[in-house]
Amino acid sequence: MLRPFELVEPASVAEASELLARHGDAARLYGGGTELLLAMKEGLVHYDYLVNVKTIAGLAGLRLGPDGTLRIGGATTHRAIERDSIVREHFPALARMEEDVANVRVRTMGTLAGNLCFAEPHADPGTLLEVFDATVRIQRAGSERTIPLEALFVGPFETCLEGDEILTEVVVPPPPPRSAAAYLKLGVLERPSVGVGVAVTLDDGRVAGARIAVGCVGPVPRRMREAEALLEGKALGESRAALAEAGRIAGRAADAVSDLHGSAEYKAHLVGVLLTRAFHQAVAGLDVRWKSR
Amino acid sequence: MSAERLAVVGRSVPRLDASDKVTGAARYVTDLALPGMVHARLWRSPVPHARLLGVDAARAAAMPGVLAVCTAAELPVARLHYGPAFKDQPILAHEVVRYAGEPVVAVVAESEARAEAALGLIDVRYQELPAATTAEAALAPDAPLIHPTLDRAGHFRDLSGLRPVPGTNVCQHYRYERGDLARAFAEADLVVEDAYRYPALSHHALEPHCALARVDADGVTVWAGTQHPFPVQKELAEVFGLPLSHVQVVVPLIGGAFGGKCYTKIEPLAAALSARVRQPVRLALSLEESARTISRHAVTVRLRTAVRRDGTLLGREADVVLDTGAYADIGPRVATKAGSRSPGPYRIPGIRIDARCVFTNNVPAGAYRGYGVPQVTWASESQMDAIAERLGLDPLDLRLRNLLERGEESVAGDTPMDGNMAEGLLAVARALDRGATGAPGRGRGLACAMKDGGGTHTVSTAIVRAHADGSVSLLAGTVEVGQGARTALAQIAAETLGVPFEAVVVGAPGTSLTPYDHGTSASRSTTLMGLAVQAAARDARAQLLGLAAGLLGTDPAGLDLREGRVGALTVAEVIRGHFGLVGGEVTGVGSFVPAQWSGSLGGATAFWETGMGAAEVEVDPETGTVRVRRYVSAADVGQAINPRECAAQDEGAAIMGLGPVLFEARAGECGQLLNPGLIDYRLPTFADLPDAFETILVENADGPGPFGAKGVGESGTFCAAPAIGNAIARATGVRFTELPMTPERVWRALRDARRGAPLP
Amino acid sequence: MTVTVNGERHELTVPAWETLIECLRDRLGLLGVKKSCDVQVCGACTVLLDDQPVSACTTLAFEARGKHVRTVEGLARGEELHPVQEAFVEHGALQCGFCTPGMIMATVALLGEIPAPTPAEVKHYMRGNICRCTGYQRILDAILAAAGRLAPGGRPRDVG
Repeated sequence: MLRPFELVEPASVAEASELLARHGDAARLYGGGTELLLAMKEGLVHYDYLVNVKTIAGLAGLRLGPDGTLRIGGATTHRAIERDSIVREHFPALARMEEDVANVRVRTMGTLAGNLCFAEPHADPGTLLEVFDATVRIQRAGSERTIPLEALFVGPFETCLEGDEILTEVVVPPPPPRSAAAYLKLGVLERPSVGVGVAVTLDDGRVAGARIAVGCVGPVPRRMREAEALLEGKALGESRAALAEAGRIAGRAADAVSDLHGSAEYKAHLVGVLLTRAFHQAVAGLDVRWKSR
Repeated sequence: MSAERLAVVGRSVPRLDASDKVTGAARYVTDLALPGMVHARLWRSPVPHARLLGVDAARAAAMPGVLAVCTAAELPVARLHYGPAFKDQPILAHEVVRYAGEPVVAVVAESEARAEAALGLIDVRYQELPAATTAEAALAPDAPLIHPTLDRAGHFRDLSGLRPVPGTNVCQHYRYERGDLARAFAEADLVVEDAYRYPALSHHALEPHCALARVDADGVTVWAGTQHPFPVQKELAEVFGLPLSHVQVVVPLIGGAFGGKCYTKIEPLAAALSARVRQPVRLALSLEESARTISRHAVTVRLRTAVRRDGTLLGREADVVLDTGAYADIGPRVATKAGSRSPGPYRIPGIRIDARCVFTNNVPAGAYRGYGVPQVTWASESQMDAIAERLGLDPLDLRLRNLLERGEESVAGDTPMDGNMAEGLLAVARALDRGATGAPGRGRGLACAMKDGGGTHTVSTAIVRAHADGSVSLLAGTVEVGQGARTALAQIAAETLGVPFEAVVVGAPGTSLTPYDHGTSASRSTTLMGLAVQAAARDARAQLLGLAAGLLGTDPAGLDLREGRVGALTVAEVIRGHFGLVGGEVTGVGSFVPAQWSGSLGGATAFWETGMGAAEVEVDPETGTVRVRRYVSAADVGQAINPRECAAQDEGAAIMGLGPVLFEARAGECGQLLNPGLIDYRLPTFADLPDAFETILVENADGPGPFGAKGVGESGTFCAAPAIGNAIARATGVRFTELPMTPERVWRALRDARRGAPLP
Repeated sequence: MTVTVNGERHELTVPAWETLIECLRDRLGLLGVKKSCDVQVCGACTVLLDDQPVSACTTLAFEARGKHVRTVEGLARGEELHPVQEAFVEHGALQCGFCTPGMIMATVALLGEIPAPTPAEVKHYMRGNICRCTGYQRILDAILAAAGRLAPGGRPRDVG
């Protein structure tokens, strides 16, 4: 049983933003409701107004720009992303990650943007999107800004969004040529316990780019830049040899917390394991022939 | 009757309830409604142990739509306390709360939403008391005394031997001793001593607890999701001071039980609230609330076993401690059974068992599929492999050497082993070997166990009514919890009576409609209620043959009732021919009443429910993840009445038994249940189904039930844990003594083993 | 709002906060939609919304406006069971039956999307539907049978 609330259905971003501004803490943006409604059922939060993001024109769906940029509208569901032929062809790791989010019913209703804005630490999408250097377009009545996705996450269940701001688009730049990504996770309970995303760019047998993000274990998903630096600019064989150390660095930097999913120590260890495996999987996806040194 | 001549027994006929269940027509307790029905919600204690100082419910009571707000004092009952072993559990908390989640105040309102809203307006003042939230803490000398006095229930004969230890939190101390244990340990070539831990679990039947009660001038009627309609009826009669004939308990279909709906739960509360507001009251718990109502005992088992070099078991000392939570429920009997099963299915001359059932300030623990046997089997079957390893013996050979053979007594005076356990054990071992891939990094393990089946001193009566049109009604109090009992009993009735299966209709259990039955638990219904059904069918059959003989002018001894006909006459023609066109009916009655009253458990075991399991696992040492690649289960069912349903029950039991092996467990801290719901309590899913999974039914027609049947449904839960634990030990060299073997625990243990640290 | 449920149009007035399961069970009497975990994990309340599976417990009723809702009650044609229902009965894919309506609806959605799924695809799609009774093997068998991949009387090998 939910406590009574009013549903408001704006037709535009400006209207939605104005409603959020007007009602302040008594209003919240509502997409698939997969996490919001659970919190409301538990009595953890209550809002007198739910502002339906799905009635806002132009927020559903995704498109690929001429330069290869993927733009995902704020009302696009996980299922739409996982099944989309553009995503499956150009961003296969994203499709793979999306098809393993929660269960098929959550993916049918839940939106990617909603997932990011709810900022549940035990979640998948933010981690992989950070590896892609995704940005998010944030709009309010009369203005907009675009920030790196990583800057969106402030803490558990906390984003940098102002009360009247709406995440209208997730923008994923095209990966450089000869790049591949992989996302690996492990879940001991219903929600994921550890998630690591890795993207690798190869250039003539050298690791021209390595991007690593870790999620689920700490308060927010984060890029692991120190670990990335250890792998970049090396011949592939040398990078592989450095994976264990990169894993240790990332494990420490991940700020893992102990909870029902496991101890911080174990999570940090898993970060290293999944980092190595994701790196190998990404490289394998590039069909590179290499010899170990 | 040989199996080949059976018409319907031994055939996998479709379940009687299948069509309703796949079309959504099936009606469960949570689907029921009555005109004028109102709704109850409960205010629960946030703390594990406290003295209640006062309840201020005025604002809640004044809310529009609220009919009543009740504490224990406002319940119109003759007796506040209930329980199958002790009358220790109050319908609502009285003076003291003993566990976090215990119901203290009940709100009745026109809608659930209203009742829920009113809860927020209730103020309860309490003074926290020191809490004992583990069995160890509760056994300590300075532990808070959770029940200073205990009032025995006198329900059940074997519980008349209850031995609580006054001045402690021990509500049952089961002791058993035989043989010369000192000599066994002196003569042993090897003595192995270990302690094992099995976690508390939640039943998580998908349909939570629910009761719909109507109290009016006719008496008390409760539609309840209960496995024990008759014991609940008796409890209600005592709570309200009414004769049994004024109390009715009706049970439609139930969405799963697994022991969590045994004995009295929320029925007295629903009825008391209905009495208070004089309208039907629906009390439907959420899934989380069900987890705060009943649980499976966490158990620690210390085993010390004496063995000869050739693997012969000489003696065993077992110390079993069960955390029964704040109220005893049926914990004392679980403790007795767990203790008595701690020798395993083996021949051991010297035995000493101490099993203690301990109160703590946790959610009460009670019956759960397997009834203590999975917990002690985890210990006993793990230790068997440890023994095999130390002696350099093959684990299968070690077991075969010591397994009780058919005809051997486990306990003097009790029923001897009635099955061929070696057959099942060899079957699972061979099945596992057959499919072996030889892939690296894998390990294989097996286990076997037995449990006394059929319950203790249980009585069942059934009625078979042959109607004037040839249709047949079977009245049996067995509850359909999913096990397929209605179908199996209908098959037995049809076969015995001699009518087509399609002619038999099975009514829903209700204490006013179906005759007395102890309950649906302990794998007893197909076998023991089955015997009552068979007797009733024989009675009806004999009557019909007599009537037919009268009509035909012959000797009934020369007549046969088969496929609904006696010679040229149909059953309908026989009945109508005898009674005239007015109608008429032939009613057969039959009972099962246990014959003996002896043995360590306080009653002769009806049959031994035996199970075996073999597993092949793959361990990923870097993450600690264990995948069960292959699992084979075997169950000795005597004669499968419905082979598909028998196999299905065993498969379900095995996967249920798999949960706590690798991931499933209640998490608690300072008396707080951290994972009441499914987001943080992991149940087995499709992802956990092994690549290859099968059940083998052993059928030697050596059970006491109809056509040689034995019960089934629990044994599948016994062996998963040790079979997988033994397989992991083979794959990694590391043996675990605590469940679940989560990825973190496995990773840690393997890492520590590599570093030379002591094993877990 | 107007909603079509099992092929029948309904004009309903529902409050914004009413969930789809409350609407289907309490307003329309479709008691085959079961409430269990209430947190969108177990799948007992699975219904189809425009052929896609949703958790009725955590979907607001108004999300069904102008759409087609299908529950287990809408599968059979009179006495004739839907092939998925038939397969569940034949393969013993149910015991207590409480998960069954949701399990069947999820299966219908799966087969609508992947007509001939591999066992791995079935396990992946059905991961969010929990059964406490059967141990899943027979449900898997029933789904593959319904998809027509299963040879009569045999058990499928896990081909990937």
